[in-house]
Amino acid sequence: MFTFLKIAFRNIIRNRRRSLITISAVGFGLAALIFIWAFVDGAHIQMTENYTSLLSGHIQVHKKGFQAKEQLEINIPNPQGIVSGIESNPKVLAAALRIKAFGLAASAQNSSGVLILGVFPDKEIKVSSIAKRIKEGKFLESGKDNSIVIGRRLAENLNVVLDDKIVLMSQAFDGSIASAAFRIKGLLDTGVEEIDKGIAIISYKAAEDLFVMQDRASEIAIRLKSVNDSELVASQIGQALNSSDLEALPWQEISPILKQWIEFDNGFIWIIVLVVMIVVAIGILNTVLMGVLERRREFGILLALGTRRRQIIMTVAWESLFLGVFGTIIGLILGYFLSLYFGKTGINLTIFTQALNAFYVDAFVYPKVSLGHTIISTSLVLITSIIVSLYPAYHAANLKPVDAIRSI
Amino acid sequence: MLIQIVNLTKTYTIDGNIETPALRGVDLAIEKGEFTAIAGPSGSGKTSLLNLIGALDKATSGSISYEDKDITRIGISQLALFRLKEIGFVFQAYNLINTLTAFENVEYVMLLQGIPLSIRRKKAQEILNRVGLGEYINRFPHQMSGGQQQRVAVARAIVAEPKVILADEPTANLDSKTAESLLDLMRQLNQEKGVTFIFSTHDKMVMDKAKRLINLHDGKVVK
Repeated sequence: MFTFLKIAFRNIIRNRRRSLITISAVGFGLAALIFIWAFVDGAHIQMTENYTSLLSGHIQVHKKGFQAKEQLEINIPNPQGIVSGIESNPKVLAAALRIKAFGLAASAQNSSGVLILGVFPDKEIKVSSIAKRIKEGKFLESGKDNSIVIGRRLAENLNVVLDDKIVLMSQAFDGSIASAAFRIKGLLDTGVEEIDKGIAIISYKAAEDLFVMQDRASEIAIRLKSVNDSELVASQIGQALNSSDLEALPWQEISPILKQWIEFDNGFIWIIVLVVMIVVAIGILNTVLMGVLERRREFGILLALGTRRRQIIMTVAWESLFLGVFGTIIGLILGYFLSLYFGKTGINLTIFTQALNAFYVDAFVYPKVSLGHTIISTSLVLITSIIVSLYPAYHAANLKPVDAIRSI
Repeated sequence: MLIQIVNLTKTYTIDGNIETPALRGVDLAIEKGEFTAIAGPSGSGKTSLLNLIGALDKATSGSISYEDKDITRIGISQLALFRLKEIGFVFQAYNLINTLTAFENVEYVMLLQGIPLSIRRKKAQEILNRVGLGEYINRFPHQMSGGQQQRVAVARAIVAEPKVILADEPTANLDSKTAESLLDLMRQLNQEKGVTFIFSTHDKMVMDKAKRLINLHDGKVVK
């Protein structure tokens, strides 16, 4: 076998220029694949992190039906005990109670429909990054229950600024009219249109009073130590709740659109994989087939000397595999370091900021190399390099020695 | 009888419909240990006959019996085995494997035969010394002269100890001095090891050195 390996290797060396072009094509193809996959993975991580940290959290606990209707009537009674139970899970970083209701925000000049969110400020900053998105003023503080934080676009619509007063109106849990005035403490700018023009955040205590929701919560938002555990921990919490009325939903169920978008992206990647594999296959096939056609005479001699067909096939396959392996090594190094470099510096996509914000992607995307995807890419390139060698190998093995030796 | 050829014909079909007969009913017997030259002008069918004896090509009709076994009726894999074990080839254009050194070219056939590494190395070195190329073992074909390459080809043909060596115009590309020394070498091997040599040639020197001369004309044995 070593001799056939040697023949294959030396044939690659013999046609240096052509081999280098093929190896480069394979290398660049694999590097591009690793980089694109790292970019998409990085963007997905960012999308997930941004979406879950902005407001939703990794997991939400609701009374069943709340996810669809978001009504005050569908609430969690005596939620404090449940929060304590959830926080005892070692994978949970924090859990925060919220009251959620739709209402009307009105200023002296204008009014607008809003989602009113009642939160414990101290808890909320552990569960979501909403406090970090304050562009003017400050976030809520405990004990200051007449303060409100609203989206910047909402402030523009209501024609209000910091320290102005607005009135929130809605229907309380008991059916009464809920109405209270709040002073604007901070303005949010998340980049997500629907939040910036439609959210009003007040303290939990203020929401309890406004909506007559004593000892009741609309949802419990949970942040985990790792977003990757969302489905697992949601299932654990669901079991621990031991209630047919309550449900624990991971972010994938809270935002199925985001999940579907990521799945669509992952599906699209396979089209890129296919294109790269075709390029790699054509590159290797071209080199190996040309090599075989040029060496018809040599294969004729090998056959004349008594070389078996499978040994000829093996020689050609080795040659192809060598090209694949060398290309793979270059591609791995190039793809890995390219991804690593941009993983640190980020890829500046500022010109697409508005479009990216809608998908919770920042202006800078940081590619992240996944071991699993790298193994898949590399294996596919190597397998492709062997598969494409089969045709030239079969051609070489089935030459008639006398005809092949005669050929120039 | 080592080789018995009966009414052998070979017709080439060119462009799908033009038939060109190369051999027109050859009858021939070769004994073990012969040093035979098949002579004739270009196009007389010498190379075609050698290719058929060496199982490199298929006959159109007739039979070639090798030690009483008809090799025109055996399959491709068995033909490969037959060539490997029984036949050594020396071609006009040397036909060494360009990616292997002189030593590796000589070693190659033994490798196919499954001969252990240590024996292969010993025999390859011995035979290359014998053909006067002991110092050139690590040279690739393109680093050697035509005469040296043909000597490697002879070494490759003889090293696996085949019963028959078929040499297709082995001196055609060599100067007369190199050609004579190569023929002397092959004659020595023929005498020492009893290997049967069959040459195709139109070189007078080869004809003179041959112990038997078979004349081929228009695809038929004429004498």
